[in-house]
Amino acid sequence: MSTIAETAPRAQTRRRMRVDGWRWAGRIFLVFMLLYTALPMIWMLITSIKSGFAATQFPPQWWPDEPTLASYQKLLDPQNSVGQDFLRFFWNSLFVSTVTTILSVIVAVPAAYAFSRFSFPGRNFLFFAVLLRNMFPAVIFLVPLFILMRAIGLINTHGSLILTYLTFGLPLAIWLLKGFYDNIPVQLEQAARIDGATRFQAFIMIVMPLSTPGIIATAIYSFIGAWNEYIYAYTFLSKNEQLTLPVGIQRFFSENTTDFPGLMAASFMMSVPVVVLFLVLQRYFVRALTEGAVKH
Amino acid sequence: MTIVTGKAEARRRLQPGWSGALRKIWEHRADYAYVLPAIAVMLIVIAYPIYYTVELSFFKTPPGLQLRDKTFIGFDNYTTILTSQVFWKVTWNTLIWTLGSTFISFVLGFATALALHRDFIGRGVLRAILIIPWVISAVAASYIWKWIYHSDFGVIGAVLVGRGLADQPPNFIDNVSTVLPSLIVVNIWREFPFAMIMMMAGLQTVPDQLLRAAKVDGANAWQRFWHVTFPHLRNVSVVTMLLLAVANFNSFIIPWIMTGGGPSNASHIWITHIYELAFGRQRWGVASAYSVLLFLTLMTLGYFYVRALSGNERKEGSA
Repeated sequence: MSTIAETAPRAQTRRRMRVDGWRWAGRIFLVFMLLYTALPMIWMLITSIKSGFAATQFPPQWWPDEPTLASYQKLLDPQNSVGQDFLRFFWNSLFVSTVTTILSVIVAVPAAYAFSRFSFPGRNFLFFAVLLRNMFPAVIFLVPLFILMRAIGLINTHGSLILTYLTFGLPLAIWLLKGFYDNIPVQLEQAARIDGATRFQAFIMIVMPLSTPGIIATAIYSFIGAWNEYIYAYTFLSKNEQLTLPVGIQRFFSENTTDFPGLMAASFMMSVPVVVLFLVLQRYFVRALTEGAVKH
Repeated sequence: MTIVTGKAEARRRLQPGWSGALRKIWEHRADYAYVLPAIAVMLIVIAYPIYYTVELSFFKTPPGLQLRDKTFIGFDNYTTILTSQVFWKVTWNTLIWTLGSTFISFVLGFATALALHRDFIGRGVLRAILIIPWVISAVAASYIWKWIYHSDFGVIGAVLVGRGLADQPPNFIDNVSTVLPSLIVVNIWREFPFAMIMMMAGLQTVPDQLLRAAKVDGANAWQRFWHVTFPHLRNVSVVTMLLLAVANFNSFIIPWIMTGGGPSNASHIWITHIYELAFGRQRWGVASAYSVLLFLTLMTLGYFYVRALSGNERKEGSA
């Protein structure tokens, strides 16, 4: 240690300059990324408080001369036909996403636990089979699933979406949760078993509480995935009153192509629930990725 | 479902002489109950569709999904695809789209993660803002960017004209040569935060002692990054890039909403092209054959994906 202390000051000044160079490069880069990320969203917000006329000026009004919340009022007014549709789409999205989230936690928790704890034959095969689901695009499954859903009478119901969304949320959910269970010492459960708990009781009372962050992360992931999903909803649903937000907005604005403030307001409101949810719970999500995905 | 019947069968066959594997399965019968719900859902929604797609790809199908009238034509659908010019055009687009988006997203995400690794005031807020594009719906993102790129009222065009860099607003997404890069910019906007989160998580696992030791040995910032940090993050990087590549290869919403594949197929990638063949032109057989080709491509990618993942598992086991 003494030699280090002696040699360090000599090289210090030069090294600090070089380190500062990197740090400045990092700061400039971060500013650039911040602009790239934030400017489109800011422009969305500014456009959404313009009138239709103000939005189509050239050169554009950087800040609207007469800011107005008319677009938001129109979308949220249940008296107005636009508002009725928007609120219904919103409700549909909320319903489908919530049910999907609850079901995927119910299905993923025991599966992840089994993949982590038990060594049954075929475990690795099944685990990778589940993970492989993430490899395949919706389009491959679209035609056969459409026919299947029609055959079992689920076409034009939210059930068809929930069943489908379950499968694309599950692989990551199981993967993340397995990482969590791998990190919970088996001894904790064994101690509970010695104290007379059944395996199931040990699971519910010891393992579940410890894996809450993982479950929250899983739930956020499922919810956001279901909320934003477009292609299945676009294919399976044709009745206007059942559409979810992404499809509903697309249908609506393919008929009203010039209502840019309305479109931006709708995009903004569609984003609010997931962004708020994510920002409130992001700590769990990042932690789950660290524990589940990266430590593997 | 198959597991249940398989088990019943196993029980029947097992009565005389228990062979080792089946006995093992029987001993672990309760364990399967935990994974059964997950596997059952997967089988219904995955195994059946895959089988059906392969079958359909060998048939000529009438429009309107009246599939009872289909006729067997062997490999004709495949020859139709491989000899069409559109196929090669679309494949080239897919390649540029996937590699371009994946590579740039990864580099930007990794660089952002490195820049955010040191603690400073406002770091949490900045990180949260940078993640937002990844969370919002791709449909919303497509509309936001479509508006920004708009040929008459788009803000980028207005800035270029205002600065005197262009005589009139450029037409980004109705132009054959600029449409694909423009869409890739949107895709990167949505995806670099994912790479950023993964790499931030990875950076936390790099032991501080190693970095300090390297510093003591006189390594400069770049050498520390290249010889200590980067090798340590190799596995995370591979997994992140694979996940990004798969997601990009499979992406649909951004090209579909922003351009629908146009102008003249310049922004069609495999997925949007298949969708148009199936649901637009109702050529189910050709679309299925396309899907099978896609499937084979993905299986190849999937092989590396599983190898990367199981490589990590093995390392963990030995550690």
